[in-house]
Amino acid sequence: MVLAQILFNGILLGGLYGLMALGMALVWGVLNIVNLAHGAMIMLGGYIVFCLFQYAHVDPFAALPIAMLVMFGVGFLLQYCLLNLIVRSALLNTLLITFGLDVVITYMAQLIFTADFRAINPPYAGANFSVFGLTVPLIRLAAFLIALVLAGALWALLNLMPLGRAIRATSQNLTAARLYGVDPRSVYAITFGIGAALAGAAGGLYGMISNLTPYIGASLTAKSFVIAIIGGLNNPFNVILGGLVVGIAESLAALYLGPTYTDAISFGLLVLVLVVRPPRSLRAA
Amino acid sequence: MSEAALSQPLLQARGLTKRFQGLLSVNRVSFAIAENEILGLIGPNGAGKTTLVNMMSGTLKPNAGEIIFRGTPITALPPFRRAHLGIARTFQVMKPFQGMSVLDNVAVGALFGQGGGEKAMRQARESAREWITFTGLARHLDARAEALGGPDRKRLEFAKALAMRPKLLLLDEVMAGLNPVEIDEMVDLIKKICARGVTLLVIEHVMKAIRSLSDRVMVLRNGEMIAEGTPDDVLSDPRVIEAYLGARRA
Amino acid sequence: MRTWHIVLALLVAAGLAAVPWLHNDVLIQFGINALLLATLAQSWNILGGFTGYVSFGNSVFYGLGTYGTAIAMVQYNLPFGVGLAIGALAAMLCAALVGLPILRLRGPYFAIATLGLNGAMAALISNLPLAGSNNGLVLPLTRNDALFYELAVALLVACTATVWWIASSRYGTALVAIREDEDAAGSMGVNATLYKVSALVLSSLFTAIAGGIHAYWSTFVDPASAFDTTLNVRMVIMCVFGGPGTVFGPVIGSFILSIIYELLASKISTAAVLLFGIVIVVAVIFIPKGLADWLAHARTSNWRYFLRNIRENRL
Repeated sequence: MVLAQILFNGILLGGLYGLMALGMALVWGVLNIVNLAHGAMIMLGGYIVFCLFQYAHVDPFAALPIAMLVMFGVGFLLQYCLLNLIVRSALLNTLLITFGLDVVITYMAQLIFTADFRAINPPYAGANFSVFGLTVPLIRLAAFLIALVLAGALWALLNLMPLGRAIRATSQNLTAARLYGVDPRSVYAITFGIGAALAGAAGGLYGMISNLTPYIGASLTAKSFVIAIIGGLNNPFNVILGGLVVGIAESLAALYLGPTYTDAISFGLLVLVLVVRPPRSLRAA
Repeated sequence: MSEAALSQPLLQARGLTKRFQGLLSVNRVSFAIAENEILGLIGPNGAGKTTLVNMMSGTLKPNAGEIIFRGTPITALPPFRRAHLGIARTFQVMKPFQGMSVLDNVAVGALFGQGGGEKAMRQARESAREWITFTGLARHLDARAEALGGPDRKRLEFAKALAMRPKLLLLDEVMAGLNPVEIDEMVDLIKKICARGVTLLVIEHVMKAIRSLSDRVMVLRNGEMIAEGTPDDVLSDPRVIEAYLGARRA
Repeated sequence: MRTWHIVLALLVAAGLAAVPWLHNDVLIQFGINALLLATLAQSWNILGGFTGYVSFGNSVFYGLGTYGTAIAMVQYNLPFGVGLAIGALAAMLCAALVGLPILRLRGPYFAIATLGLNGAMAALISNLPLAGSNNGLVLPLTRNDALFYELAVALLVACTATVWWIASSRYGTALVAIREDEDAAGSMGVNATLYKVSALVLSSLFTAIAGGIHAYWSTFVDPASAFDTTLNVRMVIMCVFGGPGTVFGPVIGSFILSIIYELLASKISTAAVLLFGIVIVVAVIFIPKGLADWLAHARTSNWRYFLRNIRENRL
């Protein structure tokens, strides 16, 4: 029975992980930018929700859309003013510049929020209910469902709406897209903004489940990578599936090996997937 | 054709097949290349010529079939080992080493080619200089490879392969985009190389060059070999004509 | 790589070696850190700059060098030299074993795979009682900064000499060919796997010794400091800022960044790191090919050089 609970926890966690990776997979797949500051953006989103909850007494779930909007703006500006300048450069340079951004964002957060652990604890934080003998924490279930909804929304955007068509066109053939009247600078900026918004939502949910510090970025970035690679960059639902794989693997590892090995597990999974099934469907740089 | 053609062929291919996600690109092609001959390989676009060469050089693994080079099966060998055995090729989509000078580009061939190549940089560079002059690139010696124009890039590809001192040289459309004078020059160079004992497989669309170079010609269409023989025989074969021009209306 | 370059380099090396005679403790300590960092940047240059395989996990070799030395000296009472050797061997072994599967990955996948390497090794070590688990180990004290300084100078010189040899040798030509076009290089006879793995092993050697020297000098090692993730990116940035694939670029770049960081840190500590991040962002936009390239062009193009870089790389 313990195993079933662990697996179930892994699934719920995996949904949130998938949401975290969604933004990174989108930006990587469309812009060919591997964003090392992705985890920092998750962290920022978390702090925005924290501030809204702590100081403006807004319910965290209601604060999520606000955080997403703010993060969209941040992402849009970052891409439009900064990243668009180096997009055609070697991949190493995008890795370096996003690393630089990661440093800047992390240390600004440290200056503003200090290194103290913060948590978002609404009054219903510990609520849970039982189903088939499994304990279902309310907040984690909500996080899982929100992750699914957002993944669905992203899928709908990319496949059903004109903006999504423009985004996909730009990712497949920049020149052709230009000829059809698409302005790549804006499309790129919007895409990055969407990625940031998704990261922000993930951050807000993360803050309700775990602690927030300015330094959580690095490990969340690494985790998002692994998930993006396992799930692939094309379909949002596959990314969620990737998140489930990692979530379940981590939960099982925590049960049998102890909690210190979670990073090693993600790394092991990553190497396994890359070596055994080299990504051919993923875009090579 | 030399008397050597009567002895064991330099390269034998049996039943080579390559499939790309359901599309049969090369379908059970078998052929042999005699020592020191020039074998022309022609066929319409998409016939599988480059894929065939890729399998011979090791860039692609065949789904079925085998390749024997000088009596040794090489089907499982990676490209660099085949280079050491003496197989060199040019790439249709040219791949110069952008950040290096023309001299060093060619020197790579001299350093790592047949038999493992030269061990000393100085000898390799001297050898590279010779090949650069041979292919007519002498004035670009120290230029960066990325600065070369189209025809010069073709010459660079050629020089790089030559510097490897190959026994078998696979040329993939080295004359594409050249004007008639340049084509004649290239034909001349190829004949000189053959005279030095190198065996060549030449993929070309320029029929005049094929006619004047090849001892024999192979024709590929939709991955299958549809004709083989002397240039005159092949180029007047109705099946070959149909492959290029479409069926004749009666 | 002309004669006057070498003469200048030797003069600089001699000058660096002479610093302890100034009897300025702060300068010597800064020097040790700067020299070790320069070695890290230079050894990263072998795989990252020449071969074009960007690794974000080289600090794992630093950590192995640190722990190899520490465990040898603390648990087995072996002398420093032996400790260094053990640390280096451990790192090279790790490089060979991990390198074989991971170097099959190209471009960004290789970079990302190396990201997790550091964390995984840190987690493993922190569960090892022999390594002092999470508490770390305390090494015997030797109060002789000048000695460590000279060791660091010697290491940097050795590493730079190796890179200089690579740049002008058949070995280095293979590495550059792999970087420019690995498939074409293979078709021309370069055994890419052999060269890539050996480059990683060479890189790990110098990185590990730097770690070992630092361990003995600071007398304390623990998983967090030994497998410091910020080291990873600092060495990458220093090399790229200075000029990857050149002989002196990484050294110059790393010294300059070390000085900037030191100046900033003494004024305003956290903001120093912040400004470091800004420096990187600005550098990637305006001098993406590194300082070495800028210096090579500075005489001819002044400020247009920056604009050209942006125009080449922007959307």
